[in-house]
Amino acid sequence: MLHKLSILPILIFLVILYFLYSGLNKDPTLIPSPLIGKAMPTFSSITLIDNQKINNNDLLGEMHILNVWGSWCYACSIEHKHLIDIYSRGTINIYGLNYKDNRSSALEWLKVRGNPYKYNIYDNKGNIAIDFGVYGAPETFLIDKKGIIIHKHVGPIDENYYNKVILPNLK
Amino acid sequence: MINELGNIFLSISASLSFCMFALIFFKNTISISSRFIFCRNFSYITSIFIAASFFILAYAFLIDDFSLRYVANNSNINLENVYKFSAVWGAHEGSILLWVFVMSIWCSLIAIFSKSMPKTLIVDMLSIMGLLLLFFLIFILFSSNPFDRVFPIPLNGRDLNPLLQDPGLIIHPPMLYIGYVGTSVPFVFAISVLLHGSINIEWISWLRKWVISSWMFLTIGISLGSWWAYHELGWGGWWFWDPVENASFMPWLAITALLHSLIVSEKRGIFINWSILLSILTFSLSLLGTFLVRSGILVSVHAFANDPERGLYILIFLTTIIGSSLALYFLKSRNLIFHKQYSVSSKEFLLLLNNLFLTITTFAILIGTLYPLVTSSLNLGKISVGAPYFNFIFSALTLPIVFLMSPAIYSSWSKSNHKILVKKLSYILFYSIIISYLFLSIYYETDILIVYLAMFLAVFTILSSVIKIFQVSKISNGKKIIEKIINIPASSLANLLSHIGIGVLIIGITISNYYSIQKEIVMNKNSEVMISNISIKFVDVQTKFSKNYTSQVGIFDAYLDDNYLVSFFPEKRTYSVQKNVMTEAAIDSSLFRDIYLALGENIGKDSWVVRIYYKPYIQFLWYGVGLMILGGLFGIFSRNKIEKKITNAS
Repeated sequence: MLHKLSILPILIFLVILYFLYSGLNKDPTLIPSPLIGKAMPTFSSITLIDNQKINNNDLLGEMHILNVWGSWCYACSIEHKHLIDIYSRGTINIYGLNYKDNRSSALEWLKVRGNPYKYNIYDNKGNIAIDFGVYGAPETFLIDKKGIIIHKHVGPIDENYYNKVILPNLK
Repeated sequence: MINELGNIFLSISASLSFCMFALIFFKNTISISSRFIFCRNFSYITSIFIAASFFILAYAFLIDDFSLRYVANNSNINLENVYKFSAVWGAHEGSILLWVFVMSIWCSLIAIFSKSMPKTLIVDMLSIMGLLLLFFLIFILFSSNPFDRVFPIPLNGRDLNPLLQDPGLIIHPPMLYIGYVGTSVPFVFAISVLLHGSINIEWISWLRKWVISSWMFLTIGISLGSWWAYHELGWGGWWFWDPVENASFMPWLAITALLHSLIVSEKRGIFINWSILLSILTFSLSLLGTFLVRSGILVSVHAFANDPERGLYILIFLTTIIGSSLALYFLKSRNLIFHKQYSVSSKEFLLLLNNLFLTITTFAILIGTLYPLVTSSLNLGKISVGAPYFNFIFSALTLPIVFLMSPAIYSSWSKSNHKILVKKLSYILFYSIIISYLFLSIYYETDILIVYLAMFLAVFTILSSVIKIFQVSKISNGKKIIEKIINIPASSLANLLSHIGIGVLIIGITISNYYSIQKEIVMNKNSEVMISNISIKFVDVQTKFSKNYTSQVGIFDAYLDDNYLVSFFPEKRTYSVQKNVMTEAAIDSSLFRDIYLALGENIGKDSWVVRIYYKPYIQFLWYGVGLMILGGLFGIFSRNKIEKKITNAS
């Protein structure tokens, strides 16, 4: 009986091995999201700052960025200055998805660091983020005027994001 | 020219390791004593050659030889010398070289400290060690060679990653690697025993020393990493459940389980099978950790250069080694079973539970770490489980382990009397509840259940271990109390000190986690802010120029009831080559609290974002770890009965 159990480690190992191998050729920061080329998920929530109702139709009509962030997220604080930078160019609107956050610390964050967002969608339970297939904060989506997701970036964006991702799509 | 020597030495070492491994196939043709001499001398020579190439690389760093691509990518003329040296293991190629260097040292140590062991077993161990060395040396020579040249030779290097320019990071990787690689000793032991087909109690007590050493170095390595994160990341945290951290934590949990199951195997001759499996698992987790860190298949804050090709090589290596050892275990392990009876309140049973929980915890962390991989291969999208999952699962699974510690200390082997155990422990239990309750209700009016629970368990563990120390000292030799304490057997001190360390650690974690005060605010010059009972005044920010960075140094004065207490000088450094901005937090530590101050963004002429944390009892973290390491030292240098018997007999 005990002896038969000793095949178990081998089986567990094979399962783990399968996942390791399948993960090997995928760049974790370039996720081929199943959502790319598709319409963004529908949602309705409230805005972070003034409690207005907001849903996915409010984001239609112009190309925009949707940035997933939270005040608890260290990488978001590194990313923030690049968002401010994009905001100051004035060519594209940034929407925020405030993810699993506490409202007062999120507001404090925006007050202290500046607010590059047109609106922030308040998603304190993370349900909207699940629909967007969010892997962790920060993540950034580029969405066109019809609401089709064009590009997804995992991890903090850097100074190349504007030139390499946004500019080619703006034309 | 000298760099080519480095390459040659590595190739020679690879050939020698191959010879060491090949000897395992000549069991019938070459006599055991000559195989032993071959293996022993080969392992010494291999260590010397690998050490030589390691120091050649270090020398290349010190003289700024930018003709080596690795040096050019990870050093700079203006880098301080001590960091030039630690830059040797600052990136992938050098880390793997350090790994092999450490492994060859462990290999030689096996050869040196094996007099009490049968030569057949040691030769097999050295041969398998040779195979492991060979794999890593081939890996270095063909896909991660630190001696690769670059042309044209750059005038200056691209500098060491500024995150790594910190005193904590000089010794963190070597310590961690000594621990990591040390897990190869129980691994080769397990394989040799399986090949051998039988096991002996004396061998287990020999192995236990190696396991304790490796455990101790892993403990040092992991805690230095935490200490570094606490000081350098400027975020006041010390553990992030990052994949790379988990990669070092899983082997630690596994080896902790192994440590305890070996005690049972040694004293009672049971769980031997399980100890052998745990030895294989521990090393497998070390290899898995290396794979996760080096292949970059998971997103991590540790930005290492990632390369799927290297990942593939390590994966093939991992499959071969782990796959074949588990197969061997499946085929041979039944030879090693002993059957003995034990009761529910016996030490065996409690240690079995400890092992069960530790193994489940390890798997829970493994699942959490690999979860993004699993969901993405099953096309469920990439979802990661964050700190909340780990915190919950970890505390839910480890608190029972901690609760079992005290009964385990007081129980005895094979048959322990239920009633006596309960009687012994009930008064300690009672006082622990009183003490932890009074402490929490006086200092922190709290209603969080988990805080009460954790504090109670910590006090329970500390109290029962301390009382046990006095009980043991009563029966030890000596007239005065000091003499009695000195004469306590080192092995009891080892276990009791480590357990007290765990208790102290839990106090540090719990209180600093739940009762830290943090403020992230904008401060103008000469403004003041109160945190806890301390007022902090922002005096000035000055610019300081250093060799390879410029920094903005904030000056803050802290006052307690209008009396000057201390000044803080947090820095924001901009490194001139890589243009990275690094935070150097300023921390004032005292026994019961840290005040932690980090400089954020400059948002106006004289106004800065400032992060201030008041962290009570955070120092207990480091005290706890210190006690555990001290316990480890006692464990290594203790001599138990079986060993004494061997020495007396010879």
